[in-house]
Amino acid sequence: MKHEKLLRFTRREKLLGFAGKKTLKLISLLIGVCLASFWLVEQSPVDPVRAYIGEMSVTPEKQAQLEEYWGVNKPPQEKFLNWAGNILKGDFGISLIYRIPVIDVIKERFTASLILMATSWLISGILGFILGIIAGMRKGTWIDKVIKTYCYTLAATPTFWLALIFLMVFSVYLGWFPIGLSVPIGVTAGNVTFLDWLHHLILPALTLSLLGVAKIAMFTREKLTEVLSSDYVLFANARGEKGLNLVLRHGIRNVALPAVTLQFLGFSELFGGAVLVEQVFSYPGIGQAAVEAGLRSDVPLLLGIVLVSALFVFFGNTIADVIYEFVDPRIKQEEAAS
Amino acid sequence: MIVFAAALPFSSTSRAADELVAAVGTHGGEPEAGFDPINGWADGTEPLIQSTLFKRDNTSLVNDLATNYSVSSGGLTWTVKIRDDVKFTDGVPLTAKDVAFTFNKTANGSSGMDLSMIESIKALDNTTIQFKLNDPQSTFIYKLAGLGIVPEHAYNNETYGQKPVGSGPYKFVQWDKGQQLILERNDEYYGKKPYFKKITILFMEEDAAFAAARSGRVDIAEIPVSLANQTVNGMKIISLDSIDARGISFPMQPDVGKKTEDNYTIGNNVTSDAAIRKALNVGIERQVLIDGALNGQGTEEFTGVDRLPFGNKEATFEDGNTDEAKKILSSGGWKDTDGDGILEKNGLKAEFTLTYPSNDQTRQALAVSVAEQAGKIGIKINVEGKSWDEIDVSAYSTPNVWGYGSIDPTDMYLRYYSVRSGSGEWSKYNNVIFYNNSAVDNNLRKAMTSFNQNTSNKYWGAAAWDGTTGYSQKGDAAWLWIATLKYVYIVDDSLDIGTPGLQPHGADIFNNIYEWKRTHQNS
Repeated sequence: MKHEKLLRFTRREKLLGFAGKKTLKLISLLIGVCLASFWLVEQSPVDPVRAYIGEMSVTPEKQAQLEEYWGVNKPPQEKFLNWAGNILKGDFGISLIYRIPVIDVIKERFTASLILMATSWLISGILGFILGIIAGMRKGTWIDKVIKTYCYTLAATPTFWLALIFLMVFSVYLGWFPIGLSVPIGVTAGNVTFLDWLHHLILPALTLSLLGVAKIAMFTREKLTEVLSSDYVLFANARGEKGLNLVLRHGIRNVALPAVTLQFLGFSELFGGAVLVEQVFSYPGIGQAAVEAGLRSDVPLLLGIVLVSALFVFFGNTIADVIYEFVDPRIKQEEAAS
Repeated sequence: MIVFAAALPFSSTSRAADELVAAVGTHGGEPEAGFDPINGWADGTEPLIQSTLFKRDNTSLVNDLATNYSVSSGGLTWTVKIRDDVKFTDGVPLTAKDVAFTFNKTANGSSGMDLSMIESIKALDNTTIQFKLNDPQSTFIYKLAGLGIVPEHAYNNETYGQKPVGSGPYKFVQWDKGQQLILERNDEYYGKKPYFKKITILFMEEDAAFAAARSGRVDIAEIPVSLANQTVNGMKIISLDSIDARGISFPMQPDVGKKTEDNYTIGNNVTSDAAIRKALNVGIERQVLIDGALNGQGTEEFTGVDRLPFGNKEATFEDGNTDEAKKILSSGGWKDTDGDGILEKNGLKAEFTLTYPSNDQTRQALAVSVAEQAGKIGIKINVEGKSWDEIDVSAYSTPNVWGYGSIDPTDMYLRYYSVRSGSGEWSKYNNVIFYNNSAVDNNLRKAMTSFNQNTSNKYWGAAAWDGTTGYSQKGDAAWLWIATLKYVYIVDDSLDIGTPGLQPHGADIFNNIYEWKRTHQNS
């Protein structure tokens, strides 16, 4: 009885310690990221007034008015402290180019991107895992070679290039899919069906997931090979368990968790890939907004996006850590051993 | 991925005859801040959703909401009368108060429209608005034409652009950000009603727009000039004339170590020599540039405003005359003494850099072709693509390829009027060449303050060439104007777009939307 209590206690201690450490890490990360991005925007040679007016002729009065709006002559520290003070109050400010609250822009755009990312995250995880298992089981056969070749090729393929190829083949020549956008042309929101929506999502999501497959497949293959040559599998073999059954009972169990962990660690690549895919497919996500904000010195919007994406990546890494720490400490031990 | 080979069920892409799908870069693409004129929507082009006081008819203005206007003798008080039968689409009448509200908001806002000349705005009664100016500017009429009127009772700075209410020929239905705008005909419209009941405007890059047109999903798409010779079944390619001119600026001052307020070098010892500027103007064969660099999609341009009511026919000249160009150079003291094909004068080589905005292929092609032709008369031009931010630094000392085209002569005024850096009345985006000719200043100022259209146009023309001096080739040859672009569209065979006027810089394709119709059902 006593002993049990003690154990529970240390467990809670551990949990609290973990949470505390994570929170501190997150806060310092966010502060660092904000400072760095702000410094970068300030260093950027882009003149926001020129970016806004293009080649229009402007009188001196107008120029002064525009410079004030874009904060051209404000000292950077004042700009940053203002912004940071408002953030602490939960106010992300108004986007200079969209002229609506930053939080609204992010909500709109991030939702679209999240759907795209979640879909491809799932597809690439499942597909990669299955391919990895097949390759691991049939190590050295032709199918293993095919899968390996596919993975190596994909690992070296630029995202936007693959997106362009898909767009040309499936949308222009074959006409199976729409030319970009996330909704059908000229259809009012109430009349857009789930199928329409799916139809527009397939190509971008597919592009993004095909690229994510490689890493997870190769990792799973490697892990499975390791497991299949372990003592307990040998023992199971001796007991007469064979083939798929054996892999399902002993392999998958031991390979699944590390694979899931790895998938969570891939949030940053997922995010980067999404930005490129969105550009090619004219898909209205956070990527498009981030590019606009950066090129046109929309400081509040850019910093808002940076904050949200840092949180997103941090969240993925934290889940992976939780799995390490609490679900399967063995992973950590193995990592330490290797 | 053959899994997806099965045809998927999705909403049909066929359209009713009175529904239009357009992928056009009009209004410079998608307005980030939404369809709010106060935040820059459709500055000087047809706003579709809102109405304007006056509207563009080719290169002049006609009444829209306005019924007439008058200007006081000093040019400082403008009184505009408007129709009394106009309603916003929510049923509320549009009155002079809405006009005053729109202009006041814009003057105090931060869109690109410059209303700094306004002193005060008052609605005298329901149909009369009085504008008081702080500077008598005849070009104020173009400001009045450039702004869609918003309803005071339904205006909120943050939400209006997302769901605008107006009194124009079309009603706002839906905006899928980054993708498309859906509009529906306003059946209560006071003016000539358009044929198309519904318009969908897609926001796509030119190449994507062309792909969409090829796949039969679009009625009209703006395409790059490089695709002007393509053929697509069931569609025709049309080129619209514009007033969108391309020209090269010549820094007019010698480089004597002077700097602007921002510490950028002023002046260029080669282009400040009149012989160089005049020889290039006369020696370059514009038609050859157009056939090559513009794929034939353009017309020769000599003053930057040739086709406008305030242009000057007297200022045009014969070009492509290399003998004349060489004569001008040699009598200006330029000789090739070392035999390398490049002229010199007092030890200075006739050589300079020419920049162009690096993301603009048309301007790159023009710059390269100009350099090639200049070589034939002994002038060496080194071409360099730069970002706008780099051009903003180098433009005071280095020629650049620019694009201008507006029916508002203010553009021209700001380009040639001499104000000095540091004088407080200088904007760094204007008169980058530091052009300074008091006779031209005089003509520009007179044009700006003459309220009779003909008188004013006469003075604008005189600024280019008044018989003794001017900014055009016959005078100072301050710029090398090359060509006026054509805007190229691919159009479904069944679509008739009437006779669009000359397109301004950035195009205004929907200006004559009420003339558009479907001539036959496409098979």
